Amino acid sequence: MYTLFIDTHYTLLHVALFKDEKVDLEIKKEGVKHSECFILSIQELLEQKGITFDDLSGIIVVNGPGSFTGVRIGVVVAKMIGYCKNIPIKVISYLQALSLKYNLECMIGIRDKNGVFIGNFDQNHELVGDYYYLSNQELEKANENIIFDEVINLDKVYEYLKDKKSIPPHFVKPIYVKKIEVDK
Amino acid sequence: MDTYILAIESSCDETSMAVVKNGSEVISLSITTQMDTHAKYGGVVPEIASRMHTEAITFVLEDCLEKANMKIEDMDAIAVTYAPGLTGSLMVGVEAAKILSLMYHKPLIAVNHLIGHIYANNLEEKLEFPLLALIVSGGHTELLVMEDDYQFKRLGETMDDAIGEAFDKVARVIGLPYPGGPNIEKLAKEGNSSYELPHPVMDDTYHFSYSGLKSAVINLVHNETQRGNPIRKEDLARTFQDVAIDELVRKVELAFKNTGIKRLVIAGGVSANQYLKSEMKKLCDKYEAELLIPRILYCTDNAAMIGAAAYPKYLKGEFSDYSLNVSSSADIV
Repeated sequence: MYTLFIDTHYTLLHVALFKDEKVDLEIKKEGVKHSECFILSIQELLEQKGITFDDLSGIIVVNGPGSFTGVRIGVVVAKMIGYCKNIPIKVISYLQALSLKYNLECMIGIRDKNGVFIGNFDQNHELVGDYYYLSNQELEKANENIIFDEVINLDKVYEYLKDKKSIPPHFVKPIYVKKIEVDK
Repeated sequence: MDTYILAIESSCDETSMAVVKNGSEVISLSITTQMDTHAKYGGVVPEIASRMHTEAITFVLEDCLEKANMKIEDMDAIAVTYAPGLTGSLMVGVEAAKILSLMYHKPLIAVNHLIGHIYANNLEEKLEFPLLALIVSGGHTELLVMEDDYQFKRLGETMDDAIGEAFDKVARVIGLPYPGGPNIEKLAKEGNSSYELPHPVMDDTYHFSYSGLKSAVINLVHNETQRGNPIRKEDLARTFQDVAIDELVRKVELAFKNTGIKRLVIAGGVSANQYLKSEMKKLCDKYEAELLIPRILYCTDNAAMIGAAAYPKYLKGEFSDYSLNVSSSADIV
């Protein structure tokens, strides 16, 4: 059986299949419209392995933070597959996924156009406090020791989530972090 | 052989799914509305709408299939509203439809929301052609001729604001809560048409215009307030509604005279307005024409109408692939 990995949180479209706890096949597309390429990428992934949705035993979805629409597309599709095919879903934030590369307490940041999403993690990679966002201006003033990283290690993600609980599809939610106009 | 279509609608603030048989029979319909949430903000907040669609989508699917007592495997196609509407909201429905289509090997049918409103009438009685279609909603005011399924010719449309938009803005100006349209109608019932407001485009074209009328209401409220005169809100609501709707009636009458068509379909959110219905009924009686307005449930946004509008496309084999994208605006013609 295979586990489907989905990450649409920002400009990189990233889908993969795990088999026997290791990445078996992955597809990365940069600079494409997620809304036009995402489902086709999943189709491509399954066709290349000659498998169907019935060969999936798990789904891992990156539920943010990042572009609201981007994150949402990944989460909606994960929910639909999980619900329809009765497949357990596990979620991980991109920041936590990055923290798995570091074995000490760390502060991880990922940039978007206007600023940076930040998460603090303990040595067990558990989030300390909440995720937050600093604009580029706020970042200049902040005297923080942020590790800016971009590339996750998929095998570490699988290993970390192996013993974690899955979330029922109805209740899988994106992490949004950034405030919207009406919240301010 | 019967055809079952699972339809999805998420273009604004309702998440809806339906199973529709042969484009005309509603097997099940599930709708969750976010109206109470958006009422707090005085209008639909697009980002909040998208978030709520994301939370609701699998619940609505479950409810819809349970009510129908059917499985996705039993469907012949998956239909979805791809335009027009709020981009982020549409995207939730479209991605859900695409993955369903891929998982269950069912053809994907992209439906225009406005065409859905026209085909909502098919859920009541089979549409016969030719017909005149008047689309009146928050984003559209247009008059079309349909010679056959999906054969549209536009007679005219608004040159500025849509009629529903004007209702909402006027509601805000006179201090009525969201949703403005129904609240104007409620208040207008208690008032008289005693204010002077300019009639929009008084010519023999099929053009509509509502920004002038809206501005006239804003100016009137401003001037009266300056003078210290209280606004008779129910009278202003009544005057505005009468002028706005009489204009629709005049243009439809023109179309009856010029085309000789004896059938009128009214579609879109504003078709829920009772004054509009009664005036159009009078007009249709005068021209011995048939008036088609779906029941309220099918007038407001719902997925059953999307299933109805998808059926002619199913019969013609007009399917979409997985690169289907959403669009905030989309013309019928």
